[in-house]
Amino acid sequence: MRQTCIFSGSSHPLLVESICERLGQNPSQVELRKFANGETSVEIKTSVRDKDVFIVQSGSSQINDNVMEMLIMINACKGGSSKSITAVVPYFPYSRQSKKKSHRGAITARMLANLMHIAGVNHVITIDLHASQMQGFFKCPVDNLVAEPLLAKWIRHNVPDWPESVVVSKNPGGSKRVTSMADALKLSFGIITTDRRRPFTCNNSMMNSAILEPMALDGVTDDLNADDVEPQQVYTHSDLTRTQSRNGSEPIEQDFARQRASSSASNSQSQGRDRRPSRPERPRAVTNMAPGVRNRLANGNDIPSSPLARTSTRIDSIDSPEMPQPGLLRRNPTAIGVVQPNADEDGYESPGGDEDEDERARDVITGRLIHGHLVDDDAPSPNMSVNSGFSPQQHNGQRTSSDEELPEAMTQSFMSVASSRRTGGLGGTGDAAASDEEEEEALHNPEIETTITLVGNVRDKPVIIIDDMIDKAGSWIAAAETVVKRGGATKVYCMATHGIFGGNALQELEDCDEIDKVIVTNSYPIPPEAHDMKKLVVLDVSGLLSEAIRRNHHGESISALYRHFDRY
Amino acid sequence: MATNSIKLLTGNSHGQLAKLVADRLGIELAKIMVLQYSNNETSISIGESVRDEDVFIIQSTESHSINDHIMELLILINACRTASARRITAVLPNFPYARQDKKDKSRAPITAKLMANMLQTAGCNHVITMDLHASQIQGFFNVPVDNLYAEPSTLRWIRENLQPQDCVIVSPDAGGAKRATAIADNLNVGFALIHKERARPNEVSRMVLVGDVKDRTAIIVDDMADTCGTLCKAADVVIEHGAKAAIAIVTHGILSGDAIQKINNSKLKHLVVTNTVPHEEKKKLCDRIVTLDISPTLAEACRRTHNGESVSFLFKHAPVD
Repeated sequence: MRQTCIFSGSSHPLLVESICERLGQNPSQVELRKFANGETSVEIKTSVRDKDVFIVQSGSSQINDNVMEMLIMINACKGGSSKSITAVVPYFPYSRQSKKKSHRGAITARMLANLMHIAGVNHVITIDLHASQMQGFFKCPVDNLVAEPLLAKWIRHNVPDWPESVVVSKNPGGSKRVTSMADALKLSFGIITTDRRRPFTCNNSMMNSAILEPMALDGVTDDLNADDVEPQQVYTHSDLTRTQSRNGSEPIEQDFARQRASSSASNSQSQGRDRRPSRPERPRAVTNMAPGVRNRLANGNDIPSSPLARTSTRIDSIDSPEMPQPGLLRRNPTAIGVVQPNADEDGYESPGGDEDEDERARDVITGRLIHGHLVDDDAPSPNMSVNSGFSPQQHNGQRTSSDEELPEAMTQSFMSVASSRRTGGLGGTGDAAASDEEEEEALHNPEIETTITLVGNVRDKPVIIIDDMIDKAGSWIAAAETVVKRGGATKVYCMATHGIFGGNALQELEDCDEIDKVIVTNSYPIPPEAHDMKKLVVLDVSGLLSEAIRRNHHGESISALYRHFDRY
Repeated sequence: MATNSIKLLTGNSHGQLAKLVADRLGIELAKIMVLQYSNNETSISIGESVRDEDVFIIQSTESHSINDHIMELLILINACRTASARRITAVLPNFPYARQDKKDKSRAPITAKLMANMLQTAGCNHVITMDLHASQIQGFFNVPVDNLYAEPSTLRWIRENLQPQDCVIVSPDAGGAKRATAIADNLNVGFALIHKERARPNEVSRMVLVGDVKDRTAIIVDDMADTCGTLCKAADVVIEHGAKAAIAIVTHGILSGDAIQKINNSKLKHLVVTNTVPHEEKKKLCDRIVTLDISPTLAEACRRTHNGESVSFLFKHAPVD
C-alpha cells in the first residue's frame, strides 16, 4: 500500500509481522525503549509526513506500559505531520471497565478512549469489544471487527458433529454473543449462571489493595464488616428442606401461585438482608422454596426495578404454568425463564428429586460450587467445618437415603455460618452482569459457596462454551464440569476471542479433564510456551486485521468482514 | 454532604509521603481500593463519598512502574470525576515524562504535553507539582498549575548543616544555571558551572568547569538525579579543581539503574534528595543519601489551594515543622 506506515508496538510483534506479510510491506522502523527511570521512549525512524499511519498495539502483561507506549506513538506520529493515524487495537485494554461497577468506580475504558483522542488518533480498529457500546466512547470512527466468523468456521471444520452441538454462555451477560453464534450456525444454546451465596470473608480494610471485594451476582454488595455475622442453625433446616422436597417432588412451578398469594406478607420485608428471615417462620407449605427465594420472587414480581431486577426477570417470564416440552428445546430453548430451583441459603438446592424426574422437562440444572469446583450436593459447606472434605465426584443427582445423615459440620459452631448478605461497605447496588473477574474471585475463595445453574439441554451433545475472553480459568472449569457432570455433555470446547490467560489459567484448563479444546485467537499475545499445550488452538486474526487495514486505506467497505465465510 | 475539608487520596506510589501530608493537614487519607486484573489492568474503587468535595490526589512515580502509576492516577482522577467531585487537584511531586518536553529531533513525541492533556482529559482541575524540569510545562496545561520549589527547604538545609560562606554553588549543566544562581544569590556565595557535552540521554561525556571552587565546599544543584552519571562526573570535576568536598542537592532522587553503585563509588560526600520520589529502599544501600522532607510544603500548598489563599508565599519560604 502506498503512503502507509504500519508501526508495531512492543506488545504483539508477531501479529504485526503476519499482518504486514499479508499486506506485502515491512513494518516501519520505530525504536521503542525505556529510559533508565522507566519512562517510555519512542523514536519514529521513518518520515510519516502526509502518510496514513497504522499503529498496532494489543495488550500484554505490561498493559499500562503498552497503553502509554501506544499513546506516545500516536502523539509522535501526530507531531510528525502524518495524514491520519489509525490505532489497531485487537484487544482493547481496560475494555472490562466500561461501566461504573461500584460507587465511585472509574469508567476507565471511556477515559482511555478520550486519552487516545487527545493523543491524536483518527480511527480505531479493534476486535470484539467487551461491550460494543464502547464504540460510543470515541469521538472518532471505530471498526469493531468480529472474530465470530472465524470461530464459526473453526466449529464447522473441526467439531465432528457440530450440527448437534450446543453453544453455551457461561454467564448471562454473554448470552447475546452466544445467541448470535447460535443463530449463525443454527444451533441451540444454553446459559450458565453462577449465584454467589454465603460469603464469609474476614474483614478487610480497604487499604489492603489487591483484595477484591466482589459484588454478589444479584447486585447486593457484600459487606466489608464481619460484625453482622448472625449465628443460625442453617444446616438443620437445609436438611429439612431437602428431605421434604425430596418427598414431595412436585414441580416447583406450582408453588408460585401460593407464593404470590403469600408475597404480600413477605413483601413487607425489604430485599437486601431480609432475604434471610428467621427459620421458625418458614411455612411448611412451601418448604421446597427457601424463604429467601420467596422474598426475591415477591419483590421481583412486584418491584421489577429493584436491585434484584435480574433475578426478577428470570422469574417474571415464568408466568405460564406449562413447562417447556423437551421437543421444543431445539431453537426454542427458552427455558431461561425458568427459575432456579435451588436457593436455600445453604446451597442445598431444594428439590433433590428434580434432577431425576424433571430435568429434561425443565432443563434447569443446578450444582454447588466450592472452591471453583462442582461438588456433591451432600458435601459439607466449606465454612462449616475445618474437615469439610468435599467429594469432587458427582452422582448426577442420584442419592441414597444413606446420604440423609446430617453433615458432621452441623454440630459445629454456629458462629461459623455467616449470614452474609452483606450490605454496607462499598455500597449497595451493582450491575447484574458482574464481570468474570468478580465471579472468579468468588470461585476461588474457599469460604464461598456458589450455586451454578445450567439452563438448556446439553445431554449427549458436544458443548461449545463461548465468551469474549478467557482470563482466569475458574469459571470455565466450573462451567465445563457442570455441563459434563450435571448436563451430560459429551465434549466441551472453550472458545473465546481474546486469550488473556491470566495467572496459571492455561495450565489449569489443560489439566481440566472435562475440557477437550480451548480455542482462542491471537488478538492477545499467546506466550510461546503455550504452544506445547495439547488442547490450545490459536486462530489467526491477522487476515481480518490486514483486510480491515487495506480496506480502510483504500476507502472500501468493511462490512464483508462481518459476514460468515462459508455459509452453507 | 460535603464536609468542606480536604479529601486526600493516594495511589500505590508513595504512601509514606501521602501519610506525611495527611498528618500535616490533620486529616485521614481517604480509603480507596486499588485492584489489579490478572493482566495488570488497574481497577479502582473509592471507599467514601467524594460528591461535592475538594479532592487532592497525591501520586509520585517509582522508576520501575512509572506507567502503572500514571494509569493509576488517571483512573483515580476519572473515578473522582465520575463520582461528582467538586474539584480534583493532582499533586504530582515528581511530574512524569517532564524531560520529554520538546521535539528535540524529528518525530519525537512531546510526551510531557501528552501527559498534560491526559490529566485534563481524565478530569483534573488543578495541578500541584514541584520543580518542573522546564517551567514551560505549565503552559502545556489549560488548567492552573502550581509549580512549587524545593529551594526554600534546600536553603534551610544548607544554612543548618553547612557553613554557607565556605560554599560555592555548582550547576552541573547550563540548563540548571538559573536554579544554581538563585540559590547562590540567596546564600550570597559564589557560583560555578559545568559545561557538559552529552552524546546520548543518560550518558555524559566531556565536562568543563567554569568558575572557581578551590578550597570550598562545592554544592552541586540539580533538579533530578536519575542515573547520577552527571552528578558523579561533576563531583569528580570539582574535586579535581581543588574543592574541599562535593555535596549534591537535587529535588527528585529517581536514582534508577545503577545509580546507588555510582554514588557509592563517587567522590560525593552527601547526596541530598527530597522525598518527592520514594527512595527508602535505596537509602539502605547508600548511607550518603540524606532525605529532605518537603511534605510541609505540599501540605501547605494543598491547604492554601483549598482555602483559596495565595500560594506564592511558599515560593520563598518553607513551612517550619
